[in-house]
Amino acid sequence: MYYIDLAVTGVSIGCMYAMMAVGLTLVYGLLRILHVAHAAVFALGAYVVVLVANATGSLAVGFLAAIVVTPLFGMAIYRLLYEPLLKYRPDVPMIASVGLLVLMQDAFRILFGEQGVTFRSAFAFTTYNFAGITVSAVQIAIVVTAAVVFAGLHLFTTHTRIGIGWRATVSRPLIAASFGIDPIQVRYLNFAIGSALTAVAGGLVALLNNLVDPGIGFVVSYKALAIIVLGGLGSVRGTLVASLVLGLVEAYGTIFIGAWLDRDAIAFLALIILLMARPQGFTGARTA
Amino acid sequence: MSKGSFHASTLSARLVIGLASVVLLGAATMMSARADIKIGFQAPLTGPSATDGKSAQIAAQMAVEDINSAGGVLGQKLELVTYDDQAKSDQAIFTANKLIGEDGVKLVVNGSYSASGRAAAPIFQKAGVVMISAYGVHPDITRAGDFIFRLVHLGPPQGAATALYVGKTLGLKKVSTITMDNDYGQATMDGFLEAASKYGVEVVSKYSYSLKDRQFGSIVASVKRDNPDAIYATGYFFTGGPLVAQLRAAGITVPIIGSQAFDSEKFVEIAGPAAEGTYIVDSFDRDRKDEALQKFFAEFKKRAGYAPEGVAAITYSAVMLMADGIKRANSDDPAKVRDALAATKDFPTLEGSMNGFNSLHELLMPISVNVIKDGQFKPAGEITDLSAFAPPEK
Repeated sequence: MYYIDLAVTGVSIGCMYAMMAVGLTLVYGLLRILHVAHAAVFALGAYVVVLVANATGSLAVGFLAAIVVTPLFGMAIYRLLYEPLLKYRPDVPMIASVGLLVLMQDAFRILFGEQGVTFRSAFAFTTYNFAGITVSAVQIAIVVTAAVVFAGLHLFTTHTRIGIGWRATVSRPLIAASFGIDPIQVRYLNFAIGSALTAVAGGLVALLNNLVDPGIGFVVSYKALAIIVLGGLGSVRGTLVASLVLGLVEAYGTIFIGAWLDRDAIAFLALIILLMARPQGFTGARTA
Repeated sequence: MSKGSFHASTLSARLVIGLASVVLLGAATMMSARADIKIGFQAPLTGPSATDGKSAQIAAQMAVEDINSAGGVLGQKLELVTYDDQAKSDQAIFTANKLIGEDGVKLVVNGSYSASGRAAAPIFQKAGVVMISAYGVHPDITRAGDFIFRLVHLGPPQGAATALYVGKTLGLKKVSTITMDNDYGQATMDGFLEAASKYGVEVVSKYSYSLKDRQFGSIVASVKRDNPDAIYATGYFFTGGPLVAQLRAAGITVPIIGSQAFDSEKFVEIAGPAAEGTYIVDSFDRDRKDEALQKFFAEFKKRAGYAPEGVAAITYSAVMLMADGIKRANSDDPAKVRDALAATKDFPTLEGSMNGFNSLHELLMPISVNVIKDGQFKPAGEITDLSAFAPPEK
């Protein structure tokens, strides 16, 4: 039972990581920018979900609002922040991105308060018991959402013209452009989808913690960097695998080495070990 | 409007501003000629600790206003000179020097965390400035010297009192502990672990987490397997809230005992129905029938928009105690105020009557326990055996 409980924790956290990190890896794959401000989009998603859900009394409306607002925000980041800086070295847009993250964190603090916001209705506290294994409704929601999202993403990128064009642009931008795919549109699409996914992850974490504070994106921001490196920068499949592995390593690792290292440090220990063993990442789909 | 007249109008505006500032400056000098007593105040007003800093600042300001509207101290008004130390040691040192050098402050209330209070204390000590640390819990703060006082129980005494409460008052014997990985969390837990066996408490398992963590899945699963009689956790309300919620969500029903910094209405908000029955040791007894407390409670809520937590109450009391010290010293001379504070006996703080200070100027005072009932903080007894959690003398 105990090990199954740990697995439930690990898989649900891993799914959350995957939804959060996939946008980051896609931006890297397409533009070679380390999109650090992705963590701010994650936090924005969490805030939109909690504020709209509290105002309307409906969690669904909250998530819907986040899926509408954050893609616009993500595209605005591309248009207003990254596009003018693309002509410089890649560390220039990255520094701008860090600046935006810090700015957003303080903006959240000023607008919504230091203490953070909680859900007015107790959405987070429903749990189910399957033969002694306790699973919370939020954990189920995380896993189901991630499964639907990644299945959908797979179908989208293999069965639709836009999706195939997107994939083509990520892997071979020049050839894709010569086939008439507009690379700029692909970039917008990329930011829109990545932002929506991370916003959903943000909303789910908000539910899990029943707390959205200005720093909610912080831990995820650096953990997401570890994940996309583990996954082989730019690879969606690699990111998915790395997220699940990290979720499980954290869940079990906390128990076995938790006395010396906390959960957040374990992610980086795993990163160091993996980079020594497989510098190209889990899948080796692409080397940076 | 022509360009010329625009210039003329800005010129006259400048003149007016210039004149006004001369007048204001004059007024300010005249006012200080009446020699207000300056109380230096440091608190983290920006950065990640600003939640507590803001509460502390509002409370300190309220205390000063309350004192002044009651006629001030020794016929003089108090004036609060506030600096933001961001809860960082470098900022604490910088603003401490500013308070001493630029503002000529002789008496200071530190409304900040351990790291910054610990950095500022030696500077005030060296300058012969009295400092009361409202809620900084690092042992080194008072070790800086005889000018430094502390108005909160140290971590280890809090932990020792918790062991007594769990073992004797609640009669629970098998305990799992969950420690927050910072100075405060560890020091408090150390006190608990050291005293546990004295009260027949057996620690069946120990876990720890980082201050930034909000996901406790693995710890929760492990505690469930350990099946203890009770859980003792150190942490802040923003870690304690999610922790308690996740423990309860996993179907763990045994009593949970939280450390002092769980004490915030926000804890109840975050943990929701899961907060029910959580004990908080060294918590702020909000129900106490005390006119000053109820007045403070209402006024703070009006100003801050949220109910005061322990940090606010203790900071208010620290300013009040400083004023009382000046009164008893019959002078604002820091050496005299120091001696008066050291001789404090049965002073009424917002959290109850304090007995006084020990030789190291550590707080001697019973510890009250609250339990969450129907979403409210309700008193759950007082730990009065001061010898069971005596603070260090050096």
